[in-house]
Formats: sequence, C-alpha cells, structure tokens
Amino acid sequence: MEAALKALADDRRRTILRLVWDDERSAGEIASHFDVSRPAISQHLAVMKGAGLIAERREGTFRYYSAHRERLEEIKQMIESFWDAGLGRLKREAERDERDARRKESRKVRKRP
Amino acid sequence: MTRSDVVERQVRIDARPEIVFEFFTDPAKMIRWKGVEAKLEPQPGGVYRVVMNEAQYVANGTFVELVPHSKIVFTWGWEGSSDVPPGSSTVEVTLTPDGDGTMLRLIHSGLPVPALAAHGEGWDKFLPRLATVAAGGEVPTDA
Repeated sequence: MEAALKALADDRRRTILRLVWDDERSAGEIASHFDVSRPAISQHLAVMKGAGLIAERREGTFRYYSAHRERLEEIKQMIESFWDAGLGRLKREAERDERDARRKESRKVRKRP
Repeated sequence: MTRSDVVERQVRIDARPEIVFEFFTDPAKMIRWKGVEAKLEPQPGGVYRVVMNEAQYVANGTFVELVPHSKIVFTWGWEGSSDVPPGSSTVEVTLTPDGDGTMLRLIHSGLPVPALAAHGEGWDKFLPRLATVAAGGEVPTDA
C-alpha cells in the first residue's frame, strides 16, 4: 500500500496512470506524451509496476501497460479510514464541549433572582 | 451512485453547529482531534497548517470558504515539498442543524482517480503520509 502511494506521489506518474486508465498503451506511446527521455519514463513505469499500480504485458519487443484500478480503490478506502478516526474524535470532543456549555448555561439560569 | 473520485463521510454530533464549527477554526480545539500543533487563519486565503502527530508531517493549505456555522472549505498539501502546489486536494465540511445536534458531512475531493482528477493536483507527500497512518490503523491519540 505504501509503495503504491509513494509511486503516486509524482506528477508524471499520475499522468501515466491517467493515460493507461482506460486503454492499454505501449511504452513508446506513453513516452511520447512527455518531454523527458525514454529511460526516465521507463524508470517511472518500473516504479509503478513494482508498486502494483500498472500491469505490464510483453509482446515480442513491445511492452504494454494498463492500470490496476483495484489499487486505487484501496487508497480510497484508506482515506475513508483516516477521516473516520478523526471524525470520531471530533464528535467526542465537540459533545464534551456541548455538555460543558449546557452545564454553564443551566447554572446561569439558576443564579437569576 | 457514489462518485469514485471523492471520499464522503457523515457523522451526527450531539453538539450545536456553532460548537462543532470551532473545531475547524480554533487551533486549540483543532489539536484535540487532529495534530499536535495548528495555525489557522479562518478567512478565505488564510493559513491552514496542522503539524501531525508524527511531527515530520505538516499539512499545509489554505481556507477557501467559511460560512459560520455551516460550512468550511480548505485545501491542503504537504509542507517541505517544493512541487506540491497549494490546493493538492480539497476538503469541504458542511454542518446542518439536526434537532439539538449537528449533522456533519465531509467531502474530500482530488483523489488519484485519473479519469476524474483535476489537472495540476498534487499528492506528492500526502499519500505517503496517509500510508503511514493507515498502516498504523488510526491517528494516534493526543491525550
């Protein structure tokens, strides 16, 4: 999971993922979208493949890449957990403040002559 | 049908909206549920900065919109990364009165779903940080 996220922490890799999201594309096709060297793109592809974000298929001397969409679903689930933990704590703390506020308010009412 | 490029969360809180709202705008209240140190300037363009429990991770973004006591919108990326533009992802929180309490709804957009991700959004540091948190299971308690 961490490898997948680290692999996504790069603008070019996210662009690559976008390119292969719907259709399988060859390494050459992918590289043609960028202004950097072919070896640099190959390096990105290797990182992404290692992280399980894309799948590679070889046909002769050609390599084709496609996205592992399930991986991104996992990321989304992780973000959901992140917020669930935080919001749980927020609820607890806000409710505590509400009880304190109500106690103070009821005390004020009782003090009135 | 739920969209795949956003995370949506909802929770009912037994506290009035004005109390809940402050937990997003008051640094002392922020760190009771998220982070160990916070700098918050609750106005459009104002700083939203929260040092997370692991200290080496600092969420940095800006407030986009605030409507007391019903809406907070802010962006964030990660500090220390020279190529994370402000506004890597966007969080929108709405607070709706619900009886004596509040219905809080959170929408976190800018997920790395290529088909729907906006151009220019960066997740350079946010995602590794999230991985660490998720691997640990949850945000560690401050208390």
